[in-house]
Amino acid sequence: MRKSAILLTTLILAGSLLLSACSSGGGNNTAAGSESSNVAANTSAENSAVTDDQPIAASDMSKLPALAQKRTDTIIVGLKNPSGAFTPYFHQSGYDGNVSSLLYSRLVTQDEQGLPVPELAESWDVSDDQLTYTFHLRKDLKFSDGSPMTAEDVAFTWTLLYDKAYDGDSIITAIGIKGGQDYKEGKATSIEGIQVSDPLTVSVTLEKPIATAPITLGGEVLSKAYYGKDYKFGDLEYIRKLHENPVGNGPYKLEKFIPGQEVRFVANEYFYLGKPKTEHFIYKTSEGDTWQYLETGEVDYGSFTATEDNLKKLKNMGYLNIVPYTPSVYGYLGVNLQHETYADKKVRQAITYGLDRQSIYVEANQGAGQVANIPTAPISWSYTEEGINPYEYDPEKAKQLLEEAGWTVGSDGIREKDGKKLTLHFLGSKSPSTDIFIALATEGFKEIGVDFQPEVFADFNALVDKYESGDYDLVSFSTPILSDPSDGVQQFINGEVKGYDNPKVKELYFDALSTSDTEQRKKYYAEMYKILNDELPIIFTSYRKSYYAYNGRLDGVVNNPFAGFQDVNNWSLK
Amino acid sequence: MSTYLVKRLTYMIIILFAASLLIFCLYAFTPGDFISGNLKLSPERKEELRQIYGLNKPVLERYAIWMKNAFHGNFGYSLAQQKPVLQLFNEYIWNSFLLAIVSTFFTWLISVIIGVIAAYKQYSLFDSLIMVIIFAAMSIPSFFIGLLLIKGFAVDLKWLPPGGMTTTGSNATGLAYVKEVIQHMALPVMVMTLLSLGSLTRYFRSNMIDVIKQDYIRTARAKGLKERKVLFTHALRNALLPAITLVGFELPGLFGGSLIIEKIFNWPGIGQLYMSSFSSRDYPLLMGFTMFIAILTVIGTLLSDLLYKLADPRVKL
Amino acid sequence: MSAVSGNLASGGAKTPVKAPVAKSSLWRQSIRRLMRNKLAVSGFVTVVFMILLCFIGPLFSPYSGNHNNLAMMNKPPSAQHWLGTDKLGRDILTRVMLAGRISLTVGFASMVLSVFIGSLLGAIAGYYRGVVDQIIMRIADLLLTIPSLPLLFIAGAMLSAWKVPTDYRMYIVMLMLSVVGWPGLARLVRGEMLSLREREYMQATIVLGLRDRRKLFHHLLPNITPLLIVIATLNIGGSILMESVLSFFGLGVIQPTPTWGNMIDAANNLIDFQERPWLWVPPGLCIFITVIAINIFGDGLRDVLDPKHKR
Repeated sequence: MRKSAILLTTLILAGSLLLSACSSGGGNNTAAGSESSNVAANTSAENSAVTDDQPIAASDMSKLPALAQKRTDTIIVGLKNPSGAFTPYFHQSGYDGNVSSLLYSRLVTQDEQGLPVPELAESWDVSDDQLTYTFHLRKDLKFSDGSPMTAEDVAFTWTLLYDKAYDGDSIITAIGIKGGQDYKEGKATSIEGIQVSDPLTVSVTLEKPIATAPITLGGEVLSKAYYGKDYKFGDLEYIRKLHENPVGNGPYKLEKFIPGQEVRFVANEYFYLGKPKTEHFIYKTSEGDTWQYLETGEVDYGSFTATEDNLKKLKNMGYLNIVPYTPSVYGYLGVNLQHETYADKKVRQAITYGLDRQSIYVEANQGAGQVANIPTAPISWSYTEEGINPYEYDPEKAKQLLEEAGWTVGSDGIREKDGKKLTLHFLGSKSPSTDIFIALATEGFKEIGVDFQPEVFADFNALVDKYESGDYDLVSFSTPILSDPSDGVQQFINGEVKGYDNPKVKELYFDALSTSDTEQRKKYYAEMYKILNDELPIIFTSYRKSYYAYNGRLDGVVNNPFAGFQDVNNWSLK
Repeated sequence: MSTYLVKRLTYMIIILFAASLLIFCLYAFTPGDFISGNLKLSPERKEELRQIYGLNKPVLERYAIWMKNAFHGNFGYSLAQQKPVLQLFNEYIWNSFLLAIVSTFFTWLISVIIGVIAAYKQYSLFDSLIMVIIFAAMSIPSFFIGLLLIKGFAVDLKWLPPGGMTTTGSNATGLAYVKEVIQHMALPVMVMTLLSLGSLTRYFRSNMIDVIKQDYIRTARAKGLKERKVLFTHALRNALLPAITLVGFELPGLFGGSLIIEKIFNWPGIGQLYMSSFSSRDYPLLMGFTMFIAILTVIGTLLSDLLYKLADPRVKL
Repeated sequence: MSAVSGNLASGGAKTPVKAPVAKSSLWRQSIRRLMRNKLAVSGFVTVVFMILLCFIGPLFSPYSGNHNNLAMMNKPPSAQHWLGTDKLGRDILTRVMLAGRISLTVGFASMVLSVFIGSLLGAIAGYYRGVVDQIIMRIADLLLTIPSLPLLFIAGAMLSAWKVPTDYRMYIVMLMLSVVGWPGLARLVRGEMLSLREREYMQATIVLGLRDRRKLFHHLLPNITPLLIVIATLNIGGSILMESVLSFFGLGVIQPTPTWGNMIDAANNLIDFQERPWLWVPPGLCIFITVIAINIFGDGLRDVLDPKHKR
């Protein structure tokens, strides 16, 4: 027995390392069913919207914990894991994005349906050829250090993102500003397409018309005096030193960042709509469950998957206002169209009919989901159910389609064609929702004679790696936050869905982007959705449903699925 | 002895070199990279970024670059957090160390006490009860114990805070700050102690059983010494001696952080940082941290070998 | 130093120095002594009972462990479902028994494997010392520095690329983990060997001119067997839980196949923990009972086999 402890301590150490790894993947409280929870943009569980479900007001404020009652000038919100890189366009984690959205305002923001609305820019116009956008800034804008904000700052921000050393994931570089490529390659000292005509007016010329330009270009504005002081083309090292000392123009200023614990904000007296009503705001780092913080009153706001369990528990607490919302994403199963079997539309349709999506995504998920049939979220202005096949669970129909496609039942109950078995090699990343999917799909596919072979990957990166190798039939994904309907269908155009090439879809996609008329765009998307719903280049699975719950003393809380926390300057404590 | 030490130190350096190469390759060959997980990026942009980060170079070349920089004391910037790796260590590692050192202290203290009593009263009710508790702790995953304590002490009784290191928004300094940290530490330390108590208690118990049966203990008793004195001076000292060899092995654990505990209790420690950088494949941070632990492991091993020699001089090194 | 030297005082006496005939009678004697230890016998019986329950029990269950029935989601124990149902309406009792098949197999297999590799290498290093020892122990040092996370991920990717059926992956990974996970135990056994071989009775074997193999198997191994038994039995719990860790990395069994580890893991959230104890208590209890029964048995076995323990 002597010294056996040596072995045990090392084993337990290794074991705990691994075990914790498993709980980290399970993070099911804020984003259950998110197959891609590693995607930076997708991780911000704060993005949300109200659906047809009604908000529930706090029923019993007397249950409010003393800790929360004592707080009079501070709002505390749980945030998974901000890392400290708070400069917009430069952070690598979506949580840092949540922080920077309080520190910086945007030129243009979005309403609850995703349509652009003015913020720092009072208005914008488009030239007749749809190529030149002119933004008109509000008067007397100031940064949090008191310095004035002008069109020069806007021009500087865009230029900075075209630097060849820029390593963030902003899509401004992809929008194609005229002369941007020349600047990036060092052939020009400024970007030709960006013109500052006076301190309040800046215009930008694009290479081709893109209707999403106001939203894409209308992002946060960096101070040229602060962020551009040491700027030399091709070297952005210096900016890293500024990440922890942001100068912005949002409702709040950074007071203090305590790594791994909290981000403290203080009201910005230079905010363009006036100083916010609540003096302090804190993002508390909360890696695991947020329940206990809400229950002890340590945080005022939390967001949860819309399961019956969660709703019951939230209601029981009594002092919370509960608001249902649907994030602007959709879940889908990527189908390998390069495998001959699945290049056949009938097989894809059969798979969809044979998959009991209602049971998998709604019932087994305690109602925290909704079946998806088109590539846009139900809260988007482009959402429609008209002429869309719902593909309700119908194993008989699935069998019939498979027969039509030439797949007949073999002796072992598995369908065959030309001596080849009908197998379905599925990839998913390990999560409770993947477990549910596999358990239910295994039974369902067996019924229609498909040999289902699931494989599970430890994290999203490993899954993507396998997916990119092409060795799969079906892979489970969820999109990042879609700010415009074009984001949701982009994958059918840009070659991401390999093996799918429909000229009609392409045409509709570009038509929809070349006009700023929303009604016109709606028609294009409706037509496109009909085609995609019929051809199923991917199998649409589900929309997520969540609740955000906040302390009943808080007034004015709005969480917008496209823009995140809204009107934070008006949030106040009763 | 000194030639032995020189030899061991030389080996140590060779091992660390081999380890650094091996670890670098392991991380490099782990499926996926820092770029691949971001679905927002187009394939062209992904290529561009890989170029900026140098991820498209051959692994050995990347290793050479890393090694060269490391020799100059430059461990690079974390890709995900955009901060120097060493600064990040400094921000998180001491929090982990605090938890580990306190819980290690309690683990040793408690397991010595329980181990001695259990050995003295071998097969008694106390002994059996302790054994049952130890095995229960060993067969239940730690997150359950964590949840149980949070539910009991923080949510229902409200005696202790549910997590974090300080009260949110608190500006406490000095003694008030210390008090706050102690309150927040209580639950995680409790869980960590409970989890590591098992093996160590069984270790001390069995050492003690061996020792109690020895002739010199019988002699001491025969001399008419008080039972307590026999137990705690003669027997305990001899039962503890072999345990000092374990000290070296605790070394990496003191700085390694504990993933589950830190996650459940939201403790701002290095374990969480490691896990999040692993899932984003933040190579500079992973490399820096793993090498740091590797160095401690190798030192710890050497230390325990030397201590072993001290404890049992008959062993030839 | 007297403590340690004390250990050996009675040490050599019991070691079987005589011919194999004597050995077998010693075994018989040991078993007889073991049978007299009621606690150890009850531990043994419990383990056998668990094994029988898991392997035969499901045959008598009216439910199939993998059949989903969403109408019966999360139901507490009742006359139809003695231990309730899980989040997909599957019968927990049936699943716990099915899970035991895998968990017990994996627990025992991985325990045997890691103890075998670790003690073999440790014994060789400790016995031969010199160059052999240096090589083995330095490799051990190197292996101790290797992080397990990337290793598991790489293994996962490789097994997936080679199209190893998911049901077998776990066993391969277990083997792999034993191959890299031996340093701890090897150091332990080596230390014990270093200490043992300096003892008087070993000096005596040298004087007697006994061969290496004889010394190793007849004199040294019997002295470390008790240590190995205790370590092995202590490790069982860890091995069973390790399986759920592997499942998490996509390296273990895949849903809907149940194991004790993944059944507990499925209830890893505050709400299930508080409100549905029937989800996690049965598998937790099974692990607990198995672990404690094996350890009690192991303790008894150790007492019987330990040459140092005269009873």
